[in-house]
Amino acid sequence: MVILMSGIKKDKKMSSRDSILKAVKNNKPELLPLPEIDLDVFNEDINLLETFIKSVELVGGRAKVLNSISDLDNEIKALYPNAKQIVSSVKESDFGTVSISKDTDPHSLETIDLAIIQGEFGVAENGAVWISENDFSIRVLPFITNDLILVISKDAICLHLHDAYKLISKRERTFGLFVAGPSKTADIEQCLVIGAHGAVSLTVMVV
Amino acid sequence: MAHAKEAEIFNRDESKVNWHDKALWFVRNKRDKAGSNVKGWEELRNLASAIKANVLSNLDNYLVQFEENAKKNGVHVHWAANAEEHNKIVHSILSKHKVEKVVKSKSMLTEECHLNPYLEANGIEVVDTDLGERIVQLAKEPPSHIVLPAIHKTKEEVDVLFQEHLNTKPSNGDPQYLTSEARKHLREKFLKADAAITGVNFAVADTGGVVVCTNEGNADMGTHLAKVHIACMGMEKIIPQEKHLGVFLRLLARSATGQLITTYSSHFNKPAPGTEMHIVIVDNGRTKQLSRDDFRASLHCIRCGACMNTCPIYRRSGGHSYKTTIPGPIGSILSPGIDLKKNSSLPFASTLCGSCSDVCPVKINIHEQLYQWRQIITKEVKQPVVKKSVLKITGRVLANSKMYGFMGKSARFMLKHMPRFMIYSKLNAWGKARELPKVKDGNFDEWYKKRQKNE
Ligand code: SF4
Repeated sequence: MVILMSGIKKDKKMSSRDSILKAVKNNKPELLPLPEIDLDVFNEDINLLETFIKSVELVGGRAKVLNSISDLDNEIKALYPNAKQIVSSVKESDFGTVSISKDTDPHSLETIDLAIIQGEFGVAENGAVWISENDFSIRVLPFITNDLILVISKDAICLHLHDAYKLISKRERTFGLFVAGPSKTADIEQCLVIGAHGAVSLTVMVV
Repeated sequence: MAHAKEAEIFNRDESKVNWHDKALWFVRNKRDKAGSNVKGWEELRNLASAIKANVLSNLDNYLVQFEENAKKNGVHVHWAANAEEHNKIVHSILSKHKVEKVVKSKSMLTEECHLNPYLEANGIEVVDTDLGERIVQLAKEPPSHIVLPAIHKTKEEVDVLFQEHLNTKPSNGDPQYLTSEARKHLREKFLKADAAITGVNFAVADTGGVVVCTNEGNADMGTHLAKVHIACMGMEKIIPQEKHLGVFLRLLARSATGQLITTYSSHFNKPAPGTEMHIVIVDNGRTKQLSRDDFRASLHCIRCGACMNTCPIYRRSGGHSYKTTIPGPIGSILSPGIDLKKNSSLPFASTLCGSCSDVCPVKINIHEQLYQWRQIITKEVKQPVVKKSVLKITGRVLANSKMYGFMGKSARFMLKHMPRFMIYSKLNAWGKARELPKVKDGNFDEWYKKRQKNE
């Protein structure tokens, strides 16, 4: 027997996995119940679109409501007149100038000015938009791009994260994320600076 | 050195201490506001606490389930009994891939295990990529706060540091300029890294996935550019089901900084084609803490930092004074479990005001555990520190400051600095009334009574 730093008695032959699991088994308390989440407690009758827009602004992003998807490219042009290297994964947008596939080297996206990505839905309580790998082929795209545009349908806004997890419960699980606003930091004297390592701006187009 | 002495050192620069105190209190207020805007906030905290209690009571099974699901997704799972084994595992993965450059996002666990010096001694460059962590790495200091690692640094200090290491121009500490220079500097590091190391905020047993939360996007910039991703987690990071993320992500950022949610909440389930993903599950004293009935709940912690922001002692003594990886109230109940003698002064670095327990999103009874540790330390640790400590610490930290007159200079000041039982029950609708554990020290009692009479 050797005594490890953590104080677990470990048989020389036993793997750390087994000795840890054994120690947990011996040391854990009696089984306590897993609580049910009662969604009624969190339910609110609020205007989802309005709340979502307010939340997007609170997290440092901007939301634009479009009457029709055909307005998308005009709107983008007005917002980012100087963007040259553009990746678009939104089929209604002809704005893309760089096409990517699963085989694209992520490092080559370093020079991308603007990425336009189809979001799956928005979350009213916090302004987050769920996007998954299927929507943008290369995982680093929404981070490495200088500016980011996410497009969601105005019917695809849920109240809170509890509902959001219901919406993604059946997804194919590879990589996905909630994006709320542009990348930011307050690590220098608590001063908020927009644009840390990820996209320096985020616009959510609600169609 | 005992906490009181260290705190005294921090208190020598009074304006800096005052700033530190104010800045953290501001964050604490943002947390209150964010919480009060959520319908059912208290119920969320109850749920989070109950879910964590269930996790600890079934941890072995959840860990096995997590491992099984992660493996199904093509993720490699490793187990480390202690810091040393953790470091060896990480190094062996890196060696296998002939990695020379690593980018790392925030992980208190790798701090706890002292991974950076270990890898550096083995010839590997490790760059911390969270801005605050990069600042303290360049300054050769540990983080002083678990969410705001460089909160003890002024912008002028960062300016000087960046001039030296990043060749920046003097800017009088312009945060915008310094951040944009750091962005460029770290962009280079991301593009050249062979491997990325991250922490884990939550590991989901029923999917085998892990969630990593950042505001800066540094974890994602690292992991999605490098060929190898190593995620290091303490074993208590497990939650049973994915839907429980709904509870924890609603609480985490609001409690930490008053944000609605962090900018990025990334869900890693499978490695990208052509890349490898590893998860290292670490014990390092956690199973021991699990065995202690009185202190087990400290393993609920989701590392939001709220207890630090609200603690009158932490705010006026700074994170470094604790000399532990996790400072502040939660650190003071975790650290004695790791080394009772070395950390015996920490449970006394508290007024037992209970503010930490009041803000904790997973409802850890922090101040009660501090009190429990005091009982144990008084019995088991023979050293002068115990006798002298109780008021010395509060004395040094609070009374030392000219601002902190016991009779109070203005109502506004008292509101800011008085322990919770004076503020929360009456003036702050947010704080909940709560029975305090008895404070045994006569001086403290006396002082409290005096205060009441003078009100
Ligand atoms: S103990 Fe509670 S308040 Fe403190 S860091 Fe952990 S979760 Fe946050």
